[in-house]
Amino acid sequence: MKSLAPIIRTVLTILLALLVGGIIMQLSGKDALNAYGVLLNSAFGNPRAIANTLLTATPLIFTGLATLIAFRAGIFNVGVEGSLYVGAFAAAWVGFTFTGLPALPLIGLCFSAGALVGGLWGLIPGYLKARLRVDEIVTTIMLNYVAILFTDYLVTGPFFVPGMANAMSAQVAEQAQLPRLVERSQLNASFILALVSVIVVAWLLRRTTLGYEVKTIGSNPLFARWMGMPVARTILLVMFISGLLGGLAGAGQVLGVHYRFVSGFSRGLGFDGIVVALLGRNSPLGALLAALFLGALRNGSSTMEMFTQIPRDLIDIVIALVIFFVAVEISFGWLKRRTIAAATPEAEQKGQADGLA
Amino acid sequence: MDSLDLIVNIAAATLRLGTPLILAAMAGLLSLQVGQVNIGLEGLMLAGAFTVVAVGFATQSVLVGLLAAIVVGMLLAAVFTLVVTRLKANLIIAGLALNLLVSGGTAYLLSVLFGTSGTFSPPDLESLPSLYIPGLSDLPVLGRLLFSFSPLVYMSWLAVPLVAIFLYRTVPGLHIRAIGQNEEAARSVGIPVRARQYLALMLGGALCGLAGAHLAVGDLALFREDMTAGRGFIALAAVYFAAGRPGFSALACLLFGLFEAVQFRLQLASSTPPQFFQMLPYLMVVVTLALISARKEWRKGWS
Repeated sequence: MKSLAPIIRTVLTILLALLVGGIIMQLSGKDALNAYGVLLNSAFGNPRAIANTLLTATPLIFTGLATLIAFRAGIFNVGVEGSLYVGAFAAAWVGFTFTGLPALPLIGLCFSAGALVGGLWGLIPGYLKARLRVDEIVTTIMLNYVAILFTDYLVTGPFFVPGMANAMSAQVAEQAQLPRLVERSQLNASFILALVSVIVVAWLLRRTTLGYEVKTIGSNPLFARWMGMPVARTILLVMFISGLLGGLAGAGQVLGVHYRFVSGFSRGLGFDGIVVALLGRNSPLGALLAALFLGALRNGSSTMEMFTQIPRDLIDIVIALVIFFVAVEISFGWLKRRTIAAATPEAEQKGQADGLA
Repeated sequence: MDSLDLIVNIAAATLRLGTPLILAAMAGLLSLQVGQVNIGLEGLMLAGAFTVVAVGFATQSVLVGLLAAIVVGMLLAAVFTLVVTRLKANLIIAGLALNLLVSGGTAYLLSVLFGTSGTFSPPDLESLPSLYIPGLSDLPVLGRLLFSFSPLVYMSWLAVPLVAIFLYRTVPGLHIRAIGQNEEAARSVGIPVRARQYLALMLGGALCGLAGAHLAVGDLALFREDMTAGRGFIALAAVYFAAGRPGFSALACLLFGLFEAVQFRLQLASSTPPQFFQMLPYLMVVVTLALISARKEWRKGWS
C-alpha cells in the first residue's frame, strides 16, 4: 500500500496541470471540455488511435529509461538528446551502406551501431565527470548542441543527397525498415524493443551488482567510496548505458518511422525523457506509464489542433506545468522526511542559541 | 577598400549579434553568482522577444513594448525564483520547464491573439531606431562601428560594467556573491538570502527581457517561434567559459557573436561548413571546463 501514495500524488499533479490548461483554454475563448474530449478520443478512441499513442510513446520509453538510470546514480544526464542524434545517424548510415545484408542481421547491425555510438557519446561527459569531476549538467547540455549540429553537417556535407528539400540522409535499405505492427499506423517493432528495454533496465537495477552500486552511489557517494565501490567505473558504465538507450531511441525512429536520418528530427525527445523519468519517479515501470501518458498527450494534441483550432502548443504548456508541479511536490516529500530527521538536533541547536542570548 | 568594408561589416555584425548574448550572459552571471544557475535564460529571452512585439503592436509603441518585455522577464524570473527557492524544486528541471512553458506559451498566444503561427511581423511595428549623431555617425569607419546601432547595443555595453560594479562594489552585490559561495554561512551572518536571490534572478530576468527584445526589434520587427535558437545556452556557455567574470564573459559573447557573423558570410563564400562555427561555442566550453578541472586534479595530485 505504501507504493500507492506516489501514484495518487502523480495523478493529482497531472489533473492539476490539465485543470490549469483547461482554464487557459476557457480564458482564450475555447471550449476546454470539448478539447480534452477530442484529445482523449484521438489518443485512445479506436485501435488506430491507440497504436499512434504507442508509436509516439516509443522513443519516450527509451529516453525515459536512459534518463532515469543516470538519475538513479545521481548523475544529471541532460544529454540523452545528443546520444539520440548520433545514434540515429549511425543506425541510418549502417542502413543505407550495407544494403546487401539480409533483414535480420542488417536490423541487428543498425540497432547495435546506434546503441554503440549513442553509448560512446554518453561516455564523453561520463569520462569528464568520472575522471575530472566536470559538472555533467553543463557538458551534456552543450554536447547536445554539438550532436545536433554535427549530424546536420553530416547530412548537408559528406552524406548530402542531391535533390532533397531538407537536410536528410539517403533512405535505409528496404529490409532494414522495421515491420509495422498494426494497419494504418506507423507503430512498429521498435515499440517491442522498448518494452524489452523496460524489463532489462528493471532487472539491471534490481537484480544485479551494478544496480546495487548505482543505488548506493546515487544515494550516498561517499559511503560508496568508503565501501570500496568502483565509483568512477560505475559512472562510466551508467553513462554508457544511458547513452546506449538514447541511441536505441534514435535508431528506432530512423528504422521504424523516418527510414532515413532527418536533420533536427527529434525536437526534444531526449528532453521529454527527463519529464518521463521525473513523472515515473525514476522507476522503469513508472517511466513506461509516464511515456504512455506523454505519448497520448502529444499524439492527441495534433488531432485536437485539427478539429478544435486549439494550437497543440497548449500541450507544451500543460507538460511544463506537470514538470513544475512534480518537481515542487517531490521536493516537498523529500523536505518533510528531512525535517523530521533533523528535528531533534535542530531543536538542540536552537536551545543552545537561546541560552547564549 | 573592399576588404576594409568587409572587416567593418563583420565587426558591426559581431557587435549586433553579440548584444543579446551579452545581456543574457550578464543575467546568467548574476544567477551563477547567487548559486542558482539559470537554465531558463532561453525562455526568459523568448518571453521578452514575444512581449516586445505583442505589446509594441498593441500600443503602437516599441518603447512601451520594451518596458513590458522587462516587466515580463522580471515577473517570470520571480516565479522561477519562488519555485527553486521556497518551493525547492530542482534548478535544472525548473529551468527546462520554464523554457518549455515559454516556448509553448508564446506559440499558443501567437495563435490565439494574432491568429498566426511561425512568424508574426506586424506591418506597422517599427524596429528600434538606430542611433544617429550628426557628424559622428557620418564618420567613415568609426561611424558605422560605434555610432550606428540600436540603443540596446549600447545598453549591453553599459550593462557589463554596471553588473561588475554591482557585484563587486555594492553591498547587495557582495551579499549575492557570499550566498553563491555558501548559502548557510551567508544566512548565519544575517544576509537576507531570499531577498537577494530574488534580486539577482529578477535583475537577470530584466536583462533577458532586453536580450529578447533586441532579437525581436533590434534590427527587424518580428517574432518567430523559438527565435532565441539556443542563444540562452550560448550565453551560459560564455559565462562558464569566462569562469563567471563579467568582462571576460562579455568578450566571450563577442567572440561567439563573431563566429555567428563569420558563419553567415562563409555560407555564401566558401566551403567551410557553417556548422563548424556554430559548434565552436559549445565545444569551447566543454574543453575549457575539462582543462580547468584537469589542472585542479593535477595540482591535487602533487600536494
